[in-house]
Amino acid sequence: MPKVEPILYGDRKVFTVSSFNRGVASYLGKLPSVWVEGEVTELRRNEAWATVFVTLKDPTTGAILKVTIGRRTFDRLELALEEGETVHVSGRAELYELKGELGLRATTIERIGLGGHLLALERLKRKLAAEGLFAPARKRPLPRLPRAIGILTGADAAARGDLVATIGTRFPAGKVVVCETRVQGKGAPAAIIAALAALAAHPEVDVIVLARGGGSFEDLLPFSNEAVVRAVAATSVPVVSAVGHEQDTPLCDLAADARAATPTAAGALVVPDLSELNIALESSRRRLALAVRNALERDAERLERLGVRLRAAPRLLLERRRAGLDHTGARLQTLSPLATLDRGYAVVRAGVVALRDASAVSVGDRLEIELASGSLGAAVEEVRP
Amino acid sequence: MSDERSFEELQRELEDIVARLERGDVAVDEAIAFFRRGEELYRTCVARLQGAELRIEELTASDTD
Repeated sequence: MPKVEPILYGDRKVFTVSSFNRGVASYLGKLPSVWVEGEVTELRRNEAWATVFVTLKDPTTGAILKVTIGRRTFDRLELALEEGETVHVSGRAELYELKGELGLRATTIERIGLGGHLLALERLKRKLAAEGLFAPARKRPLPRLPRAIGILTGADAAARGDLVATIGTRFPAGKVVVCETRVQGKGAPAAIIAALAALAAHPEVDVIVLARGGGSFEDLLPFSNEAVVRAVAATSVPVVSAVGHEQDTPLCDLAADARAATPTAAGALVVPDLSELNIALESSRRRLALAVRNALERDAERLERLGVRLRAAPRLLLERRRAGLDHTGARLQTLSPLATLDRGYAVVRAGVVALRDASAVSVGDRLEIELASGSLGAAVEEVRP
Repeated sequence: MSDERSFEELQRELEDIVARLERGDVAVDEAIAFFRRGEELYRTCVARLQGAELRIEELTASDTD
């Protein structure tokens, strides 16, 4: 291998492309071996090649890393890797000198194990929880009686059958809208999100049930996928999560408005029981009869009271008139001059005119003095005007 | 008389009628009409529950891949 030696142009040191690449390559070769996590987006293996080419992607940013691994080493791992799987790769940075491309020379590849998945899930769970996506305050109440129940299901006859049977038994007048979609493997998250949107857009669907029976931990992973979990939280109608068995807690369970351990339990959550409905109807009917009877009785009573008042009216009128008359009489009394005479005053008349001025009479004139009881004839002896 | 509305709508109307009658804000002749309507709704609801079979609609989502 030629050494990395510059060509000298006077004082200037100039490297050829190959020597530059080799220089960088040897520098990179000093970096320690590391583990890298990524999603397999491309895997090229050919019996004729000594090397297997794998492209890893960072699912969050889309950053790409080219990985190479010896074919024999790769085959000995017996991974049966598929695109879309998340792996851990151990290796060193490497520069492909001919193309100047950075890559990772792998010594081993591990499919991210249960432990890895659990840790990744735990991280995502903490992140979403911190955002408040699972907060109880976000949970919406389920409709009492949905016009239609949206069911998102895989080709899982059992889960779908249980759910439909439960709804049909409890509430036969109901309606279900079933959207069958891919629920596991590559592309499942996108399919689930599309199905959720389609169901939510249905004009009658008032609640959606995610009906996915039990499955392996990996099979249920799409229901913990970040985009799916966010879509569940953002769905415009309440969502009931009935995914997996009781011991599984996919993250969509936490984001959903209600969680059911089984499809049957989910059915019981979304529609009331037939007998409860019958009880409610009977109660409505009893109240209806009672209410109309009360309404009629109230009216009859009102009529009765009106009758009583009508019959009492003439007498009442008379009494009121009499009372008025008495009152007027009393007022008349107070105005009568006789009452004044009662208090000791007297009316003095000279002729027919009541006397108001002493100078109107002369000594010897006759006067008539009217008292409260009887009157006196008198004569003027002295005038003091 | 057949009513195209959903069971829930029928039941809600029945409950509204009961509530109005209970509040007593209806005239006598109206009250009787309300009562008749309520009875009819009750019978329709019961019949719906008895005769019904769950309606199932299949929906296909536009899967992107």
